[in-house]
Amino acid sequence: MSTRWYPIYQRGNPQLRVFLPNFWMKLVRPTEEQPANVVTFAVSTEMTKHDVKNYLEKIYKVPVVDVRTRIALGETKRDQTYGYVTKKDDVKLAYVTMPKTEAFTFPDLFANKAEQQEKEEKSMDESKAGFRKFLERNKKRPGTPGWYSI
Amino acid sequence: MSSTLIKCLNLAKTVGTVTFKSLLTTPQKQLTAWSPAANGGLLKCGMHTTSPVRQERLLEFFDDPKHWSENEVKVGRAWKTDELRIKSNKELHQLWYILLKERNMLLTMEHECNDKMEIFPNPERIDKVKISMDNLETVVRERNKAYHLLETGETGERPQRAVHNAFGLRCTYKSCEHALPPFMNTKWIKSRHLGYGGRAVHKFLLQYREKLYNAKRKAKNRSRNEVMMILRRNPNFDLELLKRKYSDVDIEKLRRSDKARGHFVPKVDA
Repeated sequence: MSTRWYPIYQRGNPQLRVFLPNFWMKLVRPTEEQPANVVTFAVSTEMTKHDVKNYLEKIYKVPVVDVRTRIALGETKRDQTYGYVTKKDDVKLAYVTMPKTEAFTFPDLFANKAEQQEKEEKSMDESKAGFRKFLERNKKRPGTPGWYSI
Repeated sequence: MSSTLIKCLNLAKTVGTVTFKSLLTTPQKQLTAWSPAANGGLLKCGMHTTSPVRQERLLEFFDDPKHWSENEVKVGRAWKTDELRIKSNKELHQLWYILLKERNMLLTMEHECNDKMEIFPNPERIDKVKISMDNLETVVRERNKAYHLLETGETGERPQRAVHNAFGLRCTYKSCEHALPPFMNTKWIKSRHLGYGGRAVHKFLLQYREKLYNAKRKAKNRSRNEVMMILRRNPNFDLELLKRKYSDVDIEKLRRSDKARGHFVPKVDA
């Protein structure tokens, strides 16, 4: 589609306008400790620093002071059995600096996970116990339907 | 529209922090009621009616906190092309950004789940968003094509042409913009003089074509054998159906063949 093509920019041309951008951005947990106003993103590899800045400012309304990007090499791994090498995709990381007044800490998404799991396991155990009781009760009369005895 | 305004007013009362003016200027407000089949789950990004502080704006990259430790997040289906065709260009444009935000959110959640060795609930949500975006693009493309055809007589699509590649095989080349015109691009001109008439390429092409021919031959034999076996087991099979299904097989000829006859003594009319 003509409007979806990113035309090459030459000096003097009018500014590019993309109507339906296809870029993706992931907010990722930083591996190293960072200042509170710096956020790490994994972005589409074809995105430039200007793209990242515009994307965040125009779509997410996040104020951006500075963007630094690098392309992280995907991990290579040798297959244990056949010895061939596989490689994961390269990914562009963008380190976005917001104004000093802003702060962002990556939230802990799985804080309640253990609690939830415990609850589920408990209900599972209960239903298991109920079924065992039902089997025990009907041991001497096989083939009786479940509704036969109360 | 008025009902949404009333809703927003009520919201403003309950929240208390936002002014009525800021609500009026929020463009996403009217999109809260948007969802293909009263699902509401797929398009969560449109739900932010309050103007959040900065920290919360980045939280748009994350799912609703109540879904964080869930094992299952139920959502509706993807948008269909027919539903998108009746939307205006402006609405489609807004919906594109909603879907974009939703996809970013899902990708972020998936990444974090993978990092923490947790199960990402309902990964098909990503596919649904992708299908919606593809459908939306199809609709926009249809409109674009119609407009271009009306105004210029051309489709406005990316131009394509058939070229020979380095192996002498024909393939389609999709044109793209270049900073230099062709006659100035000496590097490209030099690269064009790579011939494909060498011995190695000839050998490759011979074997490549043999492979293609074998595939074709085997497919032909396979369908021929299938027809013969069907005729052998079911002598009164519907021939019209067979002809429709195996259009490349000469069924009349096969009927007369010995293999299609079956293991029985044919009836001889007295």
